[in-house]
Amino acid sequence: MSAKAETAIRGVGRASLDTLLERSGVGSISSQARYDALSRYEELPVRVAIRGGRTWKQDLEKLDLTDLAVGDDDAVEFGLEPSPAARRSGVTIERFSLARERHRDAFERAFGRAVDTRDDKFASLALAFARTGLFIDVPDGVVLDEPLDAGFQGRESAVFSYTLVSVGAGGRATVIERVRSESGTPLVCGIVEIVLAERAHLTYAVDQRAAATTRLIVTRRASLAADAQLEIACAELGGLHAVSRVRAVERAPGARVQTVALFFSDGAQHVDLESETIHAAGNTQSQTIVRSAGTDRGQGRYIGNIKILADAHGADASLRDDALLLSAGAHIDSVPALEIAANDVRAFHGATVGAISEEELFYAQTRGIPRAEAERMIALGFFEPAVSRFPTEALRDELRVALENKLGAKAV
Amino acid sequence: MSERGLQITGLRANVQGNEILKGIDLTVEPGSVQALMGPNGSGKSTLAFSIAGHPSYEVSAGSVTLDGEEILGLAPDKRAKAGLFLSFQYPAAIPGVSVANFIRSARQSLHPDDLTPAKFRKLIFEQLDVLEMDAAFLSRYVNDGFSGGEKKRLEMLQLAMLAPKYAILDETDSGLDIDALGSVGASVDALRKSETGKETGFLIITHYPRILQHITADRVHIMLDGRIVKSGGPELAHEIEREGYDAIREQVAASVG
Repeated sequence: MSAKAETAIRGVGRASLDTLLERSGVGSISSQARYDALSRYEELPVRVAIRGGRTWKQDLEKLDLTDLAVGDDDAVEFGLEPSPAARRSGVTIERFSLARERHRDAFERAFGRAVDTRDDKFASLALAFARTGLFIDVPDGVVLDEPLDAGFQGRESAVFSYTLVSVGAGGRATVIERVRSESGTPLVCGIVEIVLAERAHLTYAVDQRAAATTRLIVTRRASLAADAQLEIACAELGGLHAVSRVRAVERAPGARVQTVALFFSDGAQHVDLESETIHAAGNTQSQTIVRSAGTDRGQGRYIGNIKILADAHGADASLRDDALLLSAGAHIDSVPALEIAANDVRAFHGATVGAISEEELFYAQTRGIPRAEAERMIALGFFEPAVSRFPTEALRDELRVALENKLGAKAV
Repeated sequence: MSERGLQITGLRANVQGNEILKGIDLTVEPGSVQALMGPNGSGKSTLAFSIAGHPSYEVSAGSVTLDGEEILGLAPDKRAKAGLFLSFQYPAAIPGVSVANFIRSARQSLHPDDLTPAKFRKLIFEQLDVLEMDAAFLSRYVNDGFSGGEKKRLEMLQLAMLAPKYAILDETDSGLDIDALGSVGASVDALRKSETGKETGFLIITHYPRILQHITADRVHIMLDGRIVKSGGPELAHEIEREGYDAIREQVAASVG
């Protein structure tokens, strides 16, 4: 397409945003909000210190986006056709770019309720350019049994995405978001915003299997009202560099969050995962389970924060993080942290980093299972406490196969 | 050499530089049951691990042949492939791997495609019955959170499902209550009476003679300080029960002295 080549947009400056909005309109985010976000992106430093002076391993400061290909057809969304049952129930699943225009009330009720980009450089960047993504709205009291399974696939330019999921009071749904890219997709920079009303129950899983050349920086934020329940599960299996951040805020009593994440860095892959659960009210619960592995020269880091604020009496939090190193060149850092300002709370955290145990290998070998196969089996089993908490048997099987393929590549 | 049997000749082995096995000679004929008895620290488990190929046990001399084939140079899985099975005293847990998948993989490695999935299921359910276990056991993770009795039952389930030529049972009776011991005995008994198991030779390693009330040994060997010091018929087990290992130790000392 030569016409496209002539007018290709490069970089994430003001001129790029001008051209983009001129061509395809503002979509669901006002022009003012976009330019404000772009200013923040330009002004904010890359967050250098997370805690105690620890810095991002993946030096985002050196990220040079001046020549980044930015397009108005950055990705293809899929899975947006709701089933008859979903449609009858009043559930909305829509392209993010059309959400405000088509579902104004539902959109306005949720948009911006969980995400605050004011001090966040890359979330600001995503907001400024966001075009791709999903809008899912489950009205009050609607219980949808079948999962909504949708996502997007990047193409030849950077993807800026915004996915907004809103579940009304007493509503219940399962959402599986697929993130895919092509080898020519340079960047996926996105936001996922989850807003749960009282007693809402959402199971949200992300299955990220972007191409091995794509960089990803995705910020996920959830807000829970009283007695709301969120099960969030992230499989970060693709990408060259993947930065994945999840924060859930329990704003009212009775809220419960289960955060599950897994990644497996192979080749030259880096994965940086951060999870944070904020207990802002009493009698809130959270459970965090992270499993990661590294092989080849794969790098990974996990930062897990649990914050229990001063009023959150009776909060109950646990965080368990285990990492498996399958080669001498792989490296995984693990930094779990608890910050507790309330009394009478229960909080637990534990972390391990290690190799496959020789005793397990020997045991399997005495059963006739060759060593390489035993390693694969044990490594796959290591992920199972995380995999088994993803929704739907079909997705769990897909993840097992994806993990097996990564292990298989190593054995050959 | 085409001589049948699991033949251990002049076997010496070290653990972290200490010689634990000081020349072991022992043969397990097909279909026979050999009992190896000895106090703690006599080297019984070292013998089991050395035969199975544990990387921490260094064999310095001797040979172990399985139906004529030298197995000492082989990787542990190749020894299993040759027909060896070791029931562990302390089996390792493999979290995240179900009992069913583990046994299926093992069976597939040892006897590729010899059972249809339906026949595999039928066989494993029969064995569960013998061991008085229910089907839920199959979906649990291998030895993960198992009681002592469950671990030993899983070892017996694998023994039955893998149909080895020679099986070493290392302290299978330790930590078992009477019921579990009865199940283990019944399982070995059923295997020995079956078409696939009637030729299986057993080396039963034990501290206490009580397992030998459930599985009758053809020969009993007494091990002390890395050597077999006495061999005899089943009556030798009763002698141990009555008089303990110290009496044997004194006899040996007297004969040497």
